[in-house]
Amino acid sequence: MPEVTIDWYIALSVILFTIGSLGVLLRRNAIIIFMSVEMMLNSANLAFVAFARHLGDLDGQVLVFFVITVAAAEVAVGLALIVAIFRTKKTINIDDMNLLKG
Amino acid sequence: MNAYGLAPLLLLFPALGVLFNGLVGRRFVEADARVGERWSGWVASLMAISSFVVAVLLFLTLQANEFHAMVVPIMDWISIPAANFYVPWAIRVDTLSVTMMLVVTGVGSLIHIYAIGYMHGDPNFSRFFTYFNLFIFFMLILVSGSTYLVLFVGWEGVGLCSFLLISFWFDRTNAAGKAMNADAGRKAFIVNRVGDFGMILALFLMFWTFRSLEFGTVFETAVEMFHSNHVVEFGLFSAPIGVVITAITALFLLGATGKSAQIPLYVWLPDAMAGPTPVSALIHAATMVTSGIYLIVRSNVLFELARESGPVIFGVISSPDLVALIGASTGLLAGLIAFTQFDIKKVLAYSTVSQLGFMIAAAGMGAYVAAMFHLVTHAFFKALLFLGSGSVIHGMEHGHHLHAHGHGDHHEDVFDPQDMRTMGGLRHKMPTTFWTYLIGALALSGIPPLAGFWSKDEILAHGNEHAILVYVVLALAAVCTAFYMGRQLHLTFFGEPRHEAAEHAHESPRLMTVPLMALAVLAVAGGFLNLPYLTASLAEANGNHPAGIFLGLESWLEHSITAFELSKEGIIHLPHTPIVLSPLVAGISTLLALLALGGAFYVYRNKPETAVDPDPLQKLKPLWWFRILPFETFYMKFVVPPFNRLADWLAFAVDWNFWHDFVHNNIIRDMFVSFATFLADVFDKFGVDGTVNGIGSVTKGLAGVIRRTQTGFARTYALGVFLGAVALLAYFLWVIF
Amino acid sequence: MGNPIIFLLLAVVAIGSAIGMLTSQNAVHSALYLVLNFATIGIFYIVLNAPFIAMVQITVYAGAIMVLFLFVIMLLGAEQLRGVTDVHGGERVHRAVAGLLAAVLLLASALLLFQSEAPTTAAPMLDTSPTALGLRLFAGYVFPFEVTGLLLLASMIGVFIFGKTKKRGKDA
Repeated sequence: MPEVTIDWYIALSVILFTIGSLGVLLRRNAIIIFMSVEMMLNSANLAFVAFARHLGDLDGQVLVFFVITVAAAEVAVGLALIVAIFRTKKTINIDDMNLLKG
Repeated sequence: MNAYGLAPLLLLFPALGVLFNGLVGRRFVEADARVGERWSGWVASLMAISSFVVAVLLFLTLQANEFHAMVVPIMDWISIPAANFYVPWAIRVDTLSVTMMLVVTGVGSLIHIYAIGYMHGDPNFSRFFTYFNLFIFFMLILVSGSTYLVLFVGWEGVGLCSFLLISFWFDRTNAAGKAMNADAGRKAFIVNRVGDFGMILALFLMFWTFRSLEFGTVFETAVEMFHSNHVVEFGLFSAPIGVVITAITALFLLGATGKSAQIPLYVWLPDAMAGPTPVSALIHAATMVTSGIYLIVRSNVLFELARESGPVIFGVISSPDLVALIGASTGLLAGLIAFTQFDIKKVLAYSTVSQLGFMIAAAGMGAYVAAMFHLVTHAFFKALLFLGSGSVIHGMEHGHHLHAHGHGDHHEDVFDPQDMRTMGGLRHKMPTTFWTYLIGALALSGIPPLAGFWSKDEILAHGNEHAILVYVVLALAAVCTAFYMGRQLHLTFFGEPRHEAAEHAHESPRLMTVPLMALAVLAVAGGFLNLPYLTASLAEANGNHPAGIFLGLESWLEHSITAFELSKEGIIHLPHTPIVLSPLVAGISTLLALLALGGAFYVYRNKPETAVDPDPLQKLKPLWWFRILPFETFYMKFVVPPFNRLADWLAFAVDWNFWHDFVHNNIIRDMFVSFATFLADVFDKFGVDGTVNGIGSVTKGLAGVIRRTQTGFARTYALGVFLGAVALLAYFLWVIF
Repeated sequence: MGNPIIFLLLAVVAIGSAIGMLTSQNAVHSALYLVLNFATIGIFYIVLNAPFIAMVQITVYAGAIMVLFLFVIMLLGAEQLRGVTDVHGGERVHRAVAGLLAAVLLLASALLLFQSEAPTTAAPMLDTSPTALGLRLFAGYVFPFEVTGLLLLASMIGVFIFGKTKKRGKDA
């Protein structure tokens, strides 16, 4: 039986990260994009915890703690933003939010 | 004792006096005339007296230190190491300069005190004393400088002060509307300038030849060069050192004729009598005019070397002989002119010129100590005579006021208080003035045992031994001196008063008569400074030492003149013979003087009786011819008009029309305008604007291109970020592997 | 660091739910897929000896954040919105570049992993009880902790401000 090493977890983390980034780049629904960002954060958390276990250092878990907290705050604000935009533009298609066009 | 270090105080005191009177003196006088005048005048006099005290201390120091000369440096002035040219502000304390200092400050102090009384009531009282102290300051710089350049600074400075003081009452005009005081001052300054031109050229030559202007260095180098037959290069041509030294000394002579009023530059001195009498006494009798003699005596080494070079000037005469010749002829000419003058001060002015001629002639003959001796005694009795004449003028003015007010008519006739024709019989009205004046006049005429006899006869004796022509001319001049002094005495003090002013004249205040008495004492006793050996055997018995029976001026001055002590080791020695009283010369001169005095009294015994009668001397046409003042007439006819024409041409044609109108307006202004137009139209419009606009349009174009990245699509931005991140990762990978 | 079989099982579920979230046209389905993903990750945490973090993950991430997402999706009526399906030229390039970059990323990571010579033996098991975690947190990370508090405050204020309407009476 091959042992589960840290490499496995790194690989998994990378795959999840890539999927998340593809979501950010390819989807047009603002909320889906946001969720993809959450997944990217999550993959990073996974990597942290894996390394905490691998190196025997609790600091990884402490950092995950913080990341989760910050992610929560960020989600709150971001969703409030989307709701506010929806009120004016009546759409959450991100391609329609192009007022910063130069 | 050692008071060498006190030397800078010598200059400090007069400077302080200048500052006091210049800055605050006026306010003192304006606030309260009596008290203010006292402050202003006495501060100035005390400054002069303080300088005299310092000079006495320096004298005692020299006595105590074996007459060791010392240069007291004050600060550096010019310092050019590359040319090895150093001119410091330094005071040379040696016997010659201390002699001059004593004369300047001593006589100067007495005249300061006299002036407090003389200038009483003048609204510009404090300005007078400012200038007076300034003059003392510059004169002390002149005599105490350790280099020729510092001497020259003082030289120019006293010329300036002379100008300021002669034209002190510059806004006074005479009956014809000419500002004669201002004119006189200008004349003095300009004529002096001609002499200064000679001085400057001499300084240039000196520096070129000897590479230094310091007394010791110059003399030492000159002697070395002379004995090694050095040839001086001037670029295109060269000259042997003898010729160069002759040129330098001849140019010094030019400077001396300007400052000491010799032929041909004496014409300013008689006109300078327009200034207040204390000015005439101090500057034009005792001190400034003697600076030419001081210069020649100081440069005795150079003059002796010039003498040894032989007849260089035009192959005819050597430089010192020229000096003697000019001095002697001036002495005679001025003496003859003095016969014909009516103004009491003008007579004394020409007398000064004549006596200066004596001194210059003595210096030219090589009798430097005799020249200095006569300088000192002349300062005493000429100052006395001038101050006495001031007292007379003062008395005449008061008499005129009294008379005019008493009679009610207000100055209907133009009254000149200085005209001797209006005087007469003043010996009863002004006794102190009379007796002191008499002493001065006798001293000037050379009557033993007064001071003038000893000094004048030393010069005559020297002439008799070494230069017979000079002796004859000077002896004639001495006769003239006695004659015109007798004439003046009689016209002024004897006979009957010829005008109501003389009738009502009275003695001057004590502030004026006390200095007169002090100077009279000096005029009597001054001769004892340098008495000669009475016989030749006495001289031999004393080892032929130059000093006479009283180890006086001769031995005192020999440390600076015949044995010049250099600041480094070494002493330059010049030969000198002992002065022995020559009974023949002394007897002849005394006899002639008494005869002349008696003759004058006889000619003028009763005449002129009234102010408008002609002078008895006019019957002797040849003598009266000198009234036309030969040199002045020549200058005014042939020198001044062409100069004025040249100056006018330069001012109008060259400066105004050409320079201002043509060059400034057409050339400079047009050039400037076209340049400015070019800058505005071409450079500014196309160059600067083009650059600025170009930058703007380039930025616009660039922005237009870059703007396309701002799509507004968030996903494109996200793609960009992702692209960047991946690129970084790829780079790191590449670095690792 | 755990049983390989369990790892593979869980990994498959995680990746599957991720791809499901990515491709689903229904926003609610996407959210639910994400919840599944988060739960799986939570289990991973337990395997990796981080029980407290696992609880936090489930509670906060799956329980609070995703619920919030679902609330907003319901609010905006996004379950009825269909994804836009027009694929114009620019979109194609965009997709191609994104895909390329993702491939590069995967490739690079694979390279790294296979080339690295880092030791793969895990460290001995730690005490990861909440007590230990708490001690570590408050011993060394007090300052970030406090800052995080401030951050939460700021986000609350921000949300509140964003939620305000100008018109009266109208609901948000």
